[in-house]
Formats: sequence, C-alpha cells, structure tokens
Amino acid sequence: MADSPEAQDPEAQVSEAQIAVHWREEEYYPPPASFVAQANAADPAIFGRFAEDKFPGCFTEYADLLSWDAPWHTTLDTSTPPFWKWFAGGRLNASYNCVDRHAASTPEKTAIIFVPEPEADEPVHISYAELHRQVNEFAAVLRDSLGLTTGDRVTLHMPMVPELPVTMLACARLGVIHSQVFGGFSGAACGHRIADSGSRILITMDGYYRGGQLADHKVKADEAVAAARQEGQEVDRVLVWRRHPGQYASQTPMAGGRDVFVDELLAEHQGKTVDPVSMPAEAPLFLMYTSGTTGRPKGCQHSTGGYLAYVAGTSRYYQDIHPGDVYWCMADIGWITGHSYIVYGPLALGTTTVVYEGVPNYPDGGRPWRIAERLGVTIFHTSPTAIRMLRKVGPEEPKKYDYHFKHMTTVGEPIEPEVWRWYHSEVGKGQAVIVDTWWQTENGGFLGSTLPALQPMKPGSCGPGVLGVYPVIYDEDGNEVPAGSGKAGNICIRNPWPGIFQTIWGQPDRFVDTYYRKYNKDPDSKDWHDWPYFAGDGAVQAADGYFRILGRVDDVINVAGHRLGTKEIESAALTVGEVAEAAAVPVIDDIRGRVVEIYVSLKPGFEASDEMAGKVSTAIETEIGKIARPKNVWIVPDMPKTRSGKIMRRVIASISNFADVGDVTTLANPEVVDDIRHHVQSAKVARDDVPRQLTEAEFEEIKKFGGE
Amino acid sequence: MTQQYLAGELSVLLGHLQAAATTEASRRDAWSLRQAAETQPVTVLGAVTVAALALTERLCWDSLTRGDMAAFNRQAAVCAELHDFGVCAGLLQDP
Repeated sequence: MADSPEAQDPEAQVSEAQIAVHWREEEYYPPPASFVAQANAADPAIFGRFAEDKFPGCFTEYADLLSWDAPWHTTLDTSTPPFWKWFAGGRLNASYNCVDRHAASTPEKTAIIFVPEPEADEPVHISYAELHRQVNEFAAVLRDSLGLTTGDRVTLHMPMVPELPVTMLACARLGVIHSQVFGGFSGAACGHRIADSGSRILITMDGYYRGGQLADHKVKADEAVAAARQEGQEVDRVLVWRRHPGQYASQTPMAGGRDVFVDELLAEHQGKTVDPVSMPAEAPLFLMYTSGTTGRPKGCQHSTGGYLAYVAGTSRYYQDIHPGDVYWCMADIGWITGHSYIVYGPLALGTTTVVYEGVPNYPDGGRPWRIAERLGVTIFHTSPTAIRMLRKVGPEEPKKYDYHFKHMTTVGEPIEPEVWRWYHSEVGKGQAVIVDTWWQTENGGFLGSTLPALQPMKPGSCGPGVLGVYPVIYDEDGNEVPAGSGKAGNICIRNPWPGIFQTIWGQPDRFVDTYYRKYNKDPDSKDWHDWPYFAGDGAVQAADGYFRILGRVDDVINVAGHRLGTKEIESAALTVGEVAEAAAVPVIDDIRGRVVEIYVSLKPGFEASDEMAGKVSTAIETEIGKIARPKNVWIVPDMPKTRSGKIMRRVIASISNFADVGDVTTLANPEVVDDIRHHVQSAKVARDDVPRQLTEAEFEEIKKFGGE
Repeated sequence: MTQQYLAGELSVLLGHLQAAATTEASRRDAWSLRQAAETQPVTVLGAVTVAALALTERLCWDSLTRGDMAAFNRQAAVCAELHDFGVCAGLLQDP
C-alpha cells in the first residue's frame, strides 16, 4: 500500500471509480459453451477484420447485410467534418430491407408478434407477407391521400402497437422522415417536437392499454396541435389509428376537416402496392428527439444507409440475432433503443420481433416471464430500471416459468453488479449471456459492449469499444487517461461510425459545439482523427480495456483530480434523516482545484445547528470517502428553485464563489437568494474563507453548473 | 447513456399525478413538473421526482384533512408508484 496513490494522498482513501459508483472490480463470467457454439461471431478473426487499420472499410461487412439499389463509391466521405457521410453514392430503401426482401423469401415467417396488455387477448402474429401488405397500404395513404413525398417530416405520437412499426416503415418506404414521440409524453411535448421538425401531419391513436386501463390518447393530439400552433407550426391533418377498428376509444371529438380515422382511409387503398423509393444512403431516415441542457429539444437526425447498416451489424453480432430467434426488446419504440433494436435491426435481419403494449409488471411481476414462455423468446433485452422493478415485485417469479433465454441485453444505465447477478442467475437461469451496452440516442447503436461469445462478461462494466469503434478517455485538457490508471474522465470516440447521427435537425452549429468542439484541435481539418466525438458521459477504463460508465459529466465535481458525482454526494447527505433536500456545488480552490460545499434544507420541525452540519459531513465521508468531505455544510431554510422544483445549483454555486448569481427573477422563490447569500457570505468573510476572484473560465463553469 | 426512457416513464407518472390532483393550483404544479421531466436534461429527474413526492404528500394530507378518502387513495397510489419508480430508476435513495 505504501506505493499506492491513495497512500501518498491522505485525502484519497478510495479510487475515483469507487467514489463515483461504489463498485469494486468484479470477476469475469464466461459465456456458456452452448451459446458459443451457435454464435454469429465466434471466431476471434473478427477482431482483425475490424482492427483500426481496417477502418473505415471494415464497416462494409455491416453494409453487406443489406440489399442496395446502387453500390456506394466512398465508404466514408469526410469532406465536411464532422458531418460524416457513410456509404456515399449508395442507394437503398429501409422499408425494402426490413420487409420486402423477407416477404419474398420467407413470406409466412412471423415478423412481429404483438402482445396486447389485456392478458386474455391473444397475441397477434404478423407475417412478413402481411407486414408487406400493411406497410404498402399505409404508404399509399400517406402518398395518395396526404400527398407526402420524400423529405417531408411526419410526427408520430403512438403507443406500443404494431401500427407503429407499420407507420414507420411506410414513411421509410416513401423517404418521408418520421419523428416518433414517446406515446406517454404529454401533448405539449409532442407539439414542441412537431414545431421543431416542421411536421404538418400528426399520426396518433385513439387509445391504448396501460396498467389495466384503456387510456385516452387522442386527447393529446389536440393539445399537441395547439402547442405547435403557438410556436407557429400548423398541423393540417391528424391521422387516428383506432385501437379497436370501428370503435372509437377516446372521449375527444374528431376535428372536422383535420382528423381522420386511418381504418377509413385504408379502405380506399386496399391491395395497393407502393414502390419503395430508392434513397441516397445519407438521406435522413428519422428524427429522434432528446432533451438537451438548454430548453430546445434536440432532433437527432439519423441516416438511412449508415444507420441501417450499423443496427443490422450490431444486431447480428452483439444481439446474436438469427432468423429463427424470437427476439423481445421490452423498451418502447418511442426511444432510440426501440427504433434500433425492436424495429430496424431485427427486421433488417428477418427475425421475429415482439411488441408488447403494456407495463411489464401488469397484472403482476410474472407477466414478462409468461410472455417469454408462451412465445418461446430466445433473446431478451431490457433496462436496469425494469430489471430492478421486476426483481422488486417478483424476485422468485422467473423460476416459475419454463422459458430459456440464450442471450439478454441491458441498456440505458449502468447496472449494479448485485442486480446484474440476479438478472444472470434468476432471469437468465445461469444459461444466458448478458450483453451490457453503453450508447446514446445520438449514436444509433451500441458503442461499448462485449462480443458475447468472445469476450467475457464483467458485472457493472459495459465492456470495451464495440467492433470498429475506438473509445478513449480524455481529461479536461485533452490528455488521454490511460486504461488501468484508475482515473476517470470524459469518454469520447476517436473515430466516426456508421450509426452516428448526422446533425441536430435545424441546428448544425449546436451539433458541432455540443459533440465535437471540446476536443477538436483544428476546425479546418478534414481528417477524422481531429474530430473525436464527445459523448458527455464520464467513465473509467480498467486495465482489461473494459469501460465503466459513471454518468453525465455535467454532474461531476473534480476535487484534486477525483471526479465526484454530485448525485452520490447529495444521496449521502440525504441519508441523514432530518435532511429534506441537498445540493452539492463546487467552490474554486487554489490547491485542490475544486472543493465541495453542500447546501441542505431540513424537514419541518428540525433546527439548524453545528451538530446537524457535522452529521451531514460525517454521512458523506462515511458513504463516499474523505475526499468527498464538504468544506462547508450550509443549512438553509429553502433552496432556490425553478417553478418546476429544480434546485438552481448555479445560483448557490455562485453564492459560494462570491460570483454574480445572474437573473433570478424567474425562480419560484427569488426571495431566498438574498437570505442565503447574506448567511453564507457573511460566515465566509468571518472565517476568512473568501475565494479569490474567478477567472473568466471559472466564472463560466460556475454559471453553467447544474445544467441550467 | 440512453436514459431518455426514464424521462418518459416519469412523465407518465406525473400525468397520473395531474389526474389525481384536486385543485387547479396542484394540477398546475404537477403539470410544471411534467414539463420539466419532458424537456430538461435527465440529470434533473431526481429533483423532479423528489418535488413530485412532496406534492403528492401535500395532496394526501389535504385530502385527509377534508375527509376525501377516494382522492386520498388515488393520490397515495400515485405516490407509491412514483416512489417505486424513483428507487428502481436510481433517482431516489432506497430508504
């Protein structure tokens, strides 16, 4: 221990990774031999085919999984960085690739199994031939009844029903750009996205089942149209699918001249076929909105050729999808996971994909396992949040059902090793591989994961970079943080990959500023090496090359080189029973760079005291380590908050740093700011604890702290 | 991370909270929280969840005070849903 960095620094009792996530290094789990024997990627030669010296040509292996109308002339066009163009010159149609070619070769094979939430309702099996018919007829509606054409945008606000992939694929057939908004979002959220994308058509559904209720969904369409109008965007037509054709599930009247039932329109287009439009590889396929650090949501624009190739390739090698599998991703198609790994990836490979309408724990925690047993699901894909929920409501449920997964995925968040082990032993019955994945809405497909037959699993780590993707961790100054150093930093991707989004819809400068500016050394460079992609997540890389993702970097305070998650610090403070709310902020410190100060408010009936402050400080030290011990604990009667209840960390960070707090007039409680400032700053002055004047960069950092 | 779905699930639950609110002011508060969940970065979801729980607690007390057991039951159910989701999503500490 004498030589360890921890021993040299008495403050650093634990590594940064431990501070951030409280996890230790875990043991490896090898894949079962039965899995390896059938895996799509079981030959280690694949690593050679995707080695860095084979980039970008290596990705033709993914593109070759698709049917192209015209071959590409340039695998990666870097002429306008960082607006990369993959498979430039190539032409294809996504709908053709996901439907037609399988309808021709295996027409009776099931493409989609729809599982309604009411358990008494039978699952609906839709063959590739039937999917072809439905997609063509709805494409005819879009083209002939609505006049939609290539490049138009259409907003979808639909629940988890098979009409959603039908709608997406019908749009793709015409080169119409679809923008699906998560069905559970409010009408207003949908309206903002309609306005941002410039959609004149909204496609929705009258109702859907969730938690045992037939929810009225059409009512949101009216709110969405009104919200879009407020932003200057008119919606000409609202197409309403009916959950039960012929019956209207909503209490909201149809607006004359604007709203129309899809089943009535379809009646005019029965049996029609629509030739798939041959699209340039770089033509946008869809927009997927994600929240940003400023008010306007970001419409991530994904391409046709690069995206489809990437999700097909990662579905084949990482999801290990074979045509004979029954594959169930329990995400919602309203998110990127659903687009990539319910619709486009699995269907491009001609497999059977399950679409489940409802919540996983309705009517009880055994529902997913009954579905898996009944349908013979072989590959299962869900999020750590859902795993934790299913474990909570039914830890013993999986063993009651006779299903056998060969493969399971987790997506969306880091998974704690303890939860991972339950997933492995109980859900997977110790027989399935687990593929933990790290990626983002912007990325199209997986960036960090294990190739399941060739790389062992390690609970809590997503794995190394996926085939052809070269992640790196940089510190704030752009220095590479070596693997095995125990230091965390900003995870970036050194190279472009086919699934990367093309731009933020209508905001190209924001695209460059948010994802590429930080580590770009030469804005005029045409060399992709000069444009690392900044993911915005913190990570640490173990000596074995596996990454552990720590969370958003804007949520971290860097103390003497140790990245402390504000959430962890605040959670530790909240372990003190008297504390109602907590907010950790950085204070500029000449010796340690930044130190932590924490603001807490107490539950009613408790008084501020030095003893209480001591309890908070001790709790943080106990939970996380000495490095996280706050320099000051400020007990305040209330926190400055937005009207939505968000604590304004930038305001209290500014107070702690004696900086201008900026505009506070929009706060829900602006009156508390002066009280807190007086209390904190007078105490600091009395203690001779006034920080020096901030540099411009430090001021900007404090002003932006907390993301608003 | 592809955490957007957490915002979506929270939005759904805040929609339930809106429906269970008994006054115009509390419906507005729930609506504001829902808007925050739908538009703000995912890093604010923890704070939104905490604020939503505080709102449900206020609503429950108010319903109890008025002796409105039907409203109380609806609000308590939403509170339980919010809490369970918050814990499972890592937005709240498991007590």
